Amino acid sequence: MKQPVVVLENGASKIKVGVVNASTSVASQDLQRVFPNAIIKSKGDKRTFYGADFEECKDCSGLNYRLPFEKGYLTDWDAQKAIWDGVLRHEFLGIDPHEASVLVTEPYFNLPNIQDTYDQFMFEEYEFAAYYRSTPAAFLPHGQLFKVRGLPSPECILVVDAGFSFTHVVPLINGVIEWSAVKRIDVGGKLLTNHLKELVSYRQWNMMDETHVMNDVKESCCYVSQDFATDLETCRRNTRVNAIVREYILPDFSLNKRGRVRKPGEMLLDSHQILYMGNERFSIPEVLFHPSYLGLQQAGLAAAVAQSIALLPEELQDMFWANIGLVGGSVKFPGFAQRLMSELRPLAPSDQEVVIYESKDAVLEAYRSAVAFACSVRFRDCVVTREEYLESGPAACRVRFADWKGASDIGKGKGRARVDESDDESSQVTQTRTVKTRTRVVAGVKRR
Amino acid sequence: MPPRRQPTRQVQTNKNAPDAEVIAMRAKRHLDELERSNYLEESSGQFEADKDEESVKTTKGRVLISDRRLAMLDGGRRKKSTHDVRSAVLYRKNLATLIDESGIADLPASIPTYLTAVVASPQEPSRVLCSVCGYWGSYKCMKCAMAYCDINCRSVHDETRCERRI
Repeated sequence: MKQPVVVLENGASKIKVGVVNASTSVASQDLQRVFPNAIIKSKGDKRTFYGADFEECKDCSGLNYRLPFEKGYLTDWDAQKAIWDGVLRHEFLGIDPHEASVLVTEPYFNLPNIQDTYDQFMFEEYEFAAYYRSTPAAFLPHGQLFKVRGLPSPECILVVDAGFSFTHVVPLINGVIEWSAVKRIDVGGKLLTNHLKELVSYRQWNMMDETHVMNDVKESCCYVSQDFATDLETCRRNTRVNAIVREYILPDFSLNKRGRVRKPGEMLLDSHQILYMGNERFSIPEVLFHPSYLGLQQAGLAAAVAQSIALLPEELQDMFWANIGLVGGSVKFPGFAQRLMSELRPLAPSDQEVVIYESKDAVLEAYRSAVAFACSVRFRDCVVTREEYLESGPAACRVRFADWKGASDIGKGKGRARVDESDDESSQVTQTRTVKTRTRVVAGVKRR
Repeated sequence: MPPRRQPTRQVQTNKNAPDAEVIAMRAKRHLDELERSNYLEESSGQFEADKDEESVKTTKGRVLISDRRLAMLDGGRRKKSTHDVRSAVLYRKNLATLIDESGIADLPASIPTYLTAVVASPQEPSRVLCSVCGYWGSYKCMKCAMAYCDINCRSVHDETRCERRI
């Protein structure tokens, strides 16, 4: 029963969606769409844009955002339904949900009541034939991030997922997330953009309403400094003219619809409004490495990685240090991987090899891995079909999609003995087994 | 006569300094503001045509944005949603309520949850940046405990936002 699979990566900032054609078992590239997961009201265009419509927006100033996600979890189902109605309909993707499977991503440590609502929407509202829900990191072993020519894929990987709402450090053993060692920092792209808005509004122009413009500024001007103190000194001596300052020409509604960074030697017209990005260029992304600059009492990214690895079994720790992967929009700042390496190097044992894998496209990496998973044979065994859902209710999904809850059945519903799934890839098995690595075999690893 | 003594010098304290709780509350409020999607509240003026409104009102008279959109998309062809979906869409709960309802706070300590997964406090002592220019904030304002780096930044701070960000 080969059906098309809709891969829906439901992010807090952007939705990445596409259809995997079952007959060719290759994802059609032209059907892949990326658009904001928001309902955006534009005063200039006097229109409301739902998700994918946003491409038609001409006037990107003073936009009002309504996001279904709050602090990283889907709370506003009204808004999400409005956006999904446009996406999952027949005309947009070209498939009929009754005969398609869907693969949805959820945040890490998603709450059980929210998970039930995801299931209800997919089966009861959109009536998909089969459905699978998991976190983005769980798909990464199927993708390209850790593939090195000539070597088998690593069994133990550590994923740094720096997203819109927060940043997670997620270790995976044999493709299964080790939940007791997952760490979260409450710093994400949204916080960085808002912080930049505040700084610029205090120091130069009032940009508190201009989320879209400031997001653009952040993505084009900001970088991660390798030596924060030296860069601060450089910006100190002369605030407007130094090696670091970049001038950003703000968009206006006649000449340039999009802002841009002024190239050296470019002439400035009188009508151009300039935003000077000095130490803001590197002090915004610095919050990822030092949340205490904002008063947030949480350790930075390097310390989070070290804490996460310290919670893992001792014999496997060196394999995690050697397989660190970066995904998520916030890792795209120039200099991110290099800075993380220089901060991690002193935290790892001195004879330990530390390797960081970057992706060519950090935003789409999890999506592409999910597509690879959807094409694989195992996908068909992992899904929950509509018949199973109608028979057993939401408990079918709760039991089949193993996640942080482990073996216990939490949430409403009677206590239920675990269904025996001997061929379920993602079940947590309590037995000793060997873990093969790239260089050696470690025997006797007890899994929870 | 015994030699004249000077009166014991008083230790210089800042008696008007805000206490740690006020500062912590202010930091927390700042962080909550940083999580907001929009700076201004939802604008009351809607610029959608009102002719759609009558068909999409719920029993209590509220207009759901998903209903409004469906009316735009399909032009009226709408199947009935199930009870679960309908109640999820109608009753919007914020994250704090959902966390309470999910009961994860009552789970035994061996199970990792959203609440336990947060990273620990930083090991090294925290430094602050000047709130005016962004350099190292070596000094703190006497009235409102915000950091500044030098005298120029202090005067800017006093003129513009001392004690306004409470």
